[in-house]
Amino acid sequence: MTPLSQQSVYPAGQRSVQAAAELPSVEYDLIRAHVFSSLVTLVLSVLFGILVATKFTFPEFLGGHGWLTWGRLRYNHTQGIFFGWLGNAFLAFFYYAVPRLANRPVLSRKLGWFLFCIWNFAVVLPGWVLVAAGFSQPLEWAEFPLIVDAFVVLAFILMIFQFVLPFLKARLSDLYVSAWYIIGGIVFTMLAYPVGNFVPELIPGARGAAFSGLWIHDAVGLFVTPFALAIAYYVIPATTRRAIFSHFLSMVGFWLLFFIYPLNGTHHYVYSAIPMAAQKGAIVASAYLGMDVILVVTNLLLSLRGNSGTASKDVPLRFVWFGVVSYLLVGLQGSVQALMPVNRFIHFTDWVIGHSHFAMIGFASFIALGGIAHLWQRIPGTRYNERAMNWSFWLLAGGLTLMIADLTVAGLVEAQVWQSSAPWIDSVRAVASYWLVRTFSGLPVLAGFVLFWISLLTGPKVSAESTSVLSREVSENISVFDGDTSIGQRQPSFAGRFSYVHALIFGAGVGFFALSFLVLAILPGKELADEIKQVAPVTMPALSASEQRGRVIYGREGCAYCHTQQVRSLVADVRRFGAPTEAWETKYDYPQLWGTRRIGPDLSREFNIHPRDWQLTHLYNPRLVVRDSIMPPYPWLFGGSANQPTQEGLDLLAYLQSLGRARQLSGFDQQTSASSVQSATPHMAMASQASARATPPTVPIAMTGGYSDSAPVLHPASNPGDLQEEISRGGTLFAANCASCHGSAGRGDGRASASLLPKPANLTAARFSDERLSSVLWNGITGSAMPPWRQLPTEDLRALVAYIDTLHVPNAAPTTPEATSLNEGKSLFAANCASCHGDTGAGNGPAAGALAPSPTNFQLKEPTEERAWEVLENGVPGTAMPPWQTQLSANQRHALIEFVRSLYGTPQENSRR
Amino acid sequence: MINLIVIVISAVMFALVLVWWRWPAFRSWIEAPKYFMLRQERRFGDRNAARTPSSTYLP
Repeated sequence: MTPLSQQSVYPAGQRSVQAAAELPSVEYDLIRAHVFSSLVTLVLSVLFGILVATKFTFPEFLGGHGWLTWGRLRYNHTQGIFFGWLGNAFLAFFYYAVPRLANRPVLSRKLGWFLFCIWNFAVVLPGWVLVAAGFSQPLEWAEFPLIVDAFVVLAFILMIFQFVLPFLKARLSDLYVSAWYIIGGIVFTMLAYPVGNFVPELIPGARGAAFSGLWIHDAVGLFVTPFALAIAYYVIPATTRRAIFSHFLSMVGFWLLFFIYPLNGTHHYVYSAIPMAAQKGAIVASAYLGMDVILVVTNLLLSLRGNSGTASKDVPLRFVWFGVVSYLLVGLQGSVQALMPVNRFIHFTDWVIGHSHFAMIGFASFIALGGIAHLWQRIPGTRYNERAMNWSFWLLAGGLTLMIADLTVAGLVEAQVWQSSAPWIDSVRAVASYWLVRTFSGLPVLAGFVLFWISLLTGPKVSAESTSVLSREVSENISVFDGDTSIGQRQPSFAGRFSYVHALIFGAGVGFFALSFLVLAILPGKELADEIKQVAPVTMPALSASEQRGRVIYGREGCAYCHTQQVRSLVADVRRFGAPTEAWETKYDYPQLWGTRRIGPDLSREFNIHPRDWQLTHLYNPRLVVRDSIMPPYPWLFGGSANQPTQEGLDLLAYLQSLGRARQLSGFDQQTSASSVQSATPHMAMASQASARATPPTVPIAMTGGYSDSAPVLHPASNPGDLQEEISRGGTLFAANCASCHGSAGRGDGRASASLLPKPANLTAARFSDERLSSVLWNGITGSAMPPWRQLPTEDLRALVAYIDTLHVPNAAPTTPEATSLNEGKSLFAANCASCHGDTGAGNGPAAGALAPSPTNFQLKEPTEERAWEVLENGVPGTAMPPWQTQLSANQRHALIEFVRSLYGTPQENSRR
Repeated sequence: MINLIVIVISAVMFALVLVWWRWPAFRSWIEAPKYFMLRQERRFGDRNAARTPSSTYLP
């Protein structure tokens, strides 16, 4: 029986310089270097984030250069926070804590500087530069290119030598929980990182997504969380000068974290093509993780019992306390949002962005800041400004609270709009003000971080006085513990036996880690491979070289961070985008581009939806065709105008137009309807989910233009009062949805018209029947940029019809054509026009079927004389209509115009009018 | 499979709790590191005190 006081490294009362000299050395220079790097990269990363947020409101802001575009800045924002800020902060803490916890120095100072250089000058800096230059990997939390990933893995291997070896040389039974978190975090991240970053490049599509999902969560669960908790478990007792509540509970929490966290990953792909067993497993693990979070936080908060005064006065401890409480809230939020009834609404929305900011700033960054502030006061010769630190805390806490509340509400608003049949752009409009608030909320956060930095550079110099005060109080607490014989009676033999428990559980942890990949990635991947083999169309074409290059551009510009390529098995998704994404559709996707966020619509069915010139105009400047779009412009893919795409622009266009091609051309949906393939893919059917495939998969809202379903005929109100109201509302809708192409007055001269071919219709230059307007609004016009608008409520479509009716300006003095002129016109029409426009001018001539856009149906559209004259003189560029100036004399053209205008009105229409 | 994993993890955790409850020696052994950590804090604080002159800093 050995009292603990006698086991201590040196007995109480004999503290001396001589004894202290036997202590392991601490690499203070490396601590300072990593702290400095962490704060530099933190401020830069937050600046990137504020630029990204600003672009939501001002998409043209700094939009002229590829290296400052939204997607690349977004990559650098998250990777900067992950590697630059948190990585350096954690490393600084390791250099401070490992010698204390292992009672041994880190392996080597030279290795430390080598690691510092690798981390900052082979990972963070080149990672940023390469991403800005367009070399990246479009995978969440894995955006740095593969060459950088290699250095990350090397860095983690070096960390094992630098930080884990000292612990292995120490007695395992003495290892404090912070040490276990440091060991576990380094070892498991070293194992998980290659799987998350390299495997999706080798395994395509849905199968690769199963691995990506694991890393998305492991990045937080195996890197951020363990190291942040290591700091919390260190700072709390070191500041309160009292041991944590229960080391046993802390170890239970530690092992639960490493057992459970890797099993969570697939909850990022709920309702996807990944087998339902894996999805549900991840959801169960997510709920389990919530219990672990409660356990850990309870233990940490109980460790603060009786120290509320200290927590409020000591700013570093207050940072840690805030982080611990955030960990509780964000952990429970994560568990809840993995549940299917919640996930179906909030996934892809800003709610999740709020959640990730809560985790990375509220939890991890606050604790890391607390850790840095704590250790900084204990490094002799440094400065510390408590007042500035206090202001830093309140700025950060206030800014973050506003940001999270704002993003959470914005997510709920987006979810609400997505569940409706409103156009996608309505969800963008609905949260525009929230995005502005989010941008402003970033300013106090940035100011807080800057002030934190200032607080480490100003104020009085830190000396050893404080640490000696701390030491005396710690001695008192240890003395109390030494007097407790029930605890102090520890037998060495027990210690020896129990030491193996830790090693055993650590081995089990590695086993569970491997198991997570087996259960959530390898087995589902095998199932998916079998399914692909079974149901994929035999003739599925691979991407062409141009499309493949376009795919790379799509990835490098961060398109996948706003546009998903996975239609989930949910009514709202199916109604809006078409049938749920099947695994086989992604079989050529190296790496997968499913995405985890929707700011713009899903693009997996983009084939045939928008024509070439619309796509190019949209890429050149999205607001030319969609007034309220917040998509960034990509002028560097063009030679000065939307009509001059570079090869890269053409490649991206080719890729966009290939999305969903295989599914549409293969007739897969018709086959599945006929043979009911659902029984062969039970995980996709989700029989328990009433929503699954409730809508016929072949009738999405955003169907290709010219879709030939018969449209409802929308007649405006006959009551003058109601009609006036409809016209007024139609004007508003027209300004919001149509004016960018058709112009504010409907003359076809909107901002986008310069680059669209055929030009948008001049709505003032023709009279349209209600049937024609209804058909165009419902189906769009194949071969033109006019999309279908059937996603608008019927009342809105009717209001648009009413408004467009008012745009037509009738001739001031209508003339009655002479019979001889009409006869001549009829003969000319039969000889020259009927092959396309049909004998009766209904646009159904023998050649019409091969033309897109279809020839005009003159029974439903009556052009003004001026417009008809212009068309006969010049033709209609972008359509099959040629100029007739040379073939027909002026008199003949005049006669033809009179005849064509006389065709207007179907029998029903005429009788109604 | 996932159910099995969750059951196994739960069983391991409950086994640990059982050991903690039934075996006081385990309890004292598993709690010892938290005091070791505090002792180390004191030792390192003393070293700094020995090598650096005091200043006006007050925590």
